[in-house]
Amino acid sequence: MTNWKASGLSKDLPPANVMHADWQGVDLAVWRSASGRLSAWVDRCPHRGMRLSHGFVRGETLACIYHGWTYGVTGACTHIPAHPDMTPPATITATRFEVTERGGVIWIAAKDDPTAPPDIAGFQPLRSLTVQVGEQALLQALAADAPGLTEAEGGLRGTVQIAGLDTQICLMLQPKAQETTLHILCGAGAGPAQVSRWAESLRRQIEDRSAP
Amino acid sequence: MILYDYILSASCYKVRLMAALLGIKLDLVAVDFHPGRAHKSAAFRDLNPAGSIPVLVDGDLVLTESTAMLVYLAQIAGPQWLGEASPQSAARVQNWLAFSGRLNSSLGLARLHDMLHFPADITACRTAGHLCLRELEAHLTQVRLEGRIFLEGTAPSIADIACFPNVALAPDGGVELRDYPSVRLWQRAVRSLPQFIEMPGIHRLHDLKPAPHSGAAA
Repeated sequence: MTNWKASGLSKDLPPANVMHADWQGVDLAVWRSASGRLSAWVDRCPHRGMRLSHGFVRGETLACIYHGWTYGVTGACTHIPAHPDMTPPATITATRFEVTERGGVIWIAAKDDPTAPPDIAGFQPLRSLTVQVGEQALLQALAADAPGLTEAEGGLRGTVQIAGLDTQICLMLQPKAQETTLHILCGAGAGPAQVSRWAESLRRQIEDRSAP
Repeated sequence: MILYDYILSASCYKVRLMAALLGIKLDLVAVDFHPGRAHKSAAFRDLNPAGSIPVLVDGDLVLTESTAMLVYLAQIAGPQWLGEASPQSAARVQNWLAFSGRLNSSLGLARLHDMLHFPADITACRTAGHLCLRELEAHLTQVRLEGRIFLEGTAPSIADIACFPNVALAPDGGVELRDYPSVRLWQRAVRSLPQFIEMPGIHRLHDLKPAPHSGAAA
């Protein structure tokens, strides 16, 4: 079983962008440099604790929005604007997680993970969508509403009827405290716009049923 | 052209932003909305009986709805911001202007509750806000599948400017935007527009300018 957690879709993080990700309850800043290098760090500037996901990417560095402390892709601080002539000490570094991309999905694991993320060849990434139910409740609901999906590494795969067409679907699950984010990929069958509307409808059904 | 304005108001910022993008100079009159409640004063209600801000005055014209102000500014200085010429496009822009009212009464009210202690059912406001954000995310997902990024057509329009402020300020009202990736990228597109201006809570994209220490330097 893989330790890599689906944490977003590659297409939602273009070059020179940063976003927040939840990794098993740990807040992370995930960012892509101008040249395309991906990093996942604890979402906390070593200086004053500001969320680095509020920062900005310039070239191959991520800068904190608060005082502009700037970090390179190794995590090491490279520049402190208030002390422009100082070389920052090597001890000032962001805390890194392992991050990689496979099948258009961003995967994050703790450091030195020897496993590989799931193989999801044949599916096109569509969108990420958060459902306000926990992972177990979601799996039960999906078993009832989309019985053609069966558990596969990292989530569910199978065939669903969408707009009258047998459609290949892959759902990668990212469980959070009270909710679950679904990273939706589609294969042959209905078009992406139809799959997107199917996912919206499925979410409404599941949430309506679990409402108190 | 006079704008009766409050710096922290999302609706006032809507109008300041549109004017800046169009290169229109507004004469700003600061209204002590909080804590002075000057918008409820007798003198202010002589101008706008509803006692709301912003108010835009241009000669004999007095406008009290921010979306109408966007239409007026665009008609004067940038009709391309009104959307495309088709009946469908014109109607969809109107749909987004009305939708921006829902954003204001959900996300906007949640923010006024948290920041300025406005009375509100905060749970209901946030729930309604997330519902709006889901609609926006679904639409923008579709838009991106078509290779576009703005709400209507291929260029930015008053629809984007009407919806942007209350979305960007949503975290001030306890509504996080992290589950809305297409909304995040759309906001970035709006913030990248030439002549974009900021307000407290919405800063400019520093990365669009070269690093200050990278030149001939200190």
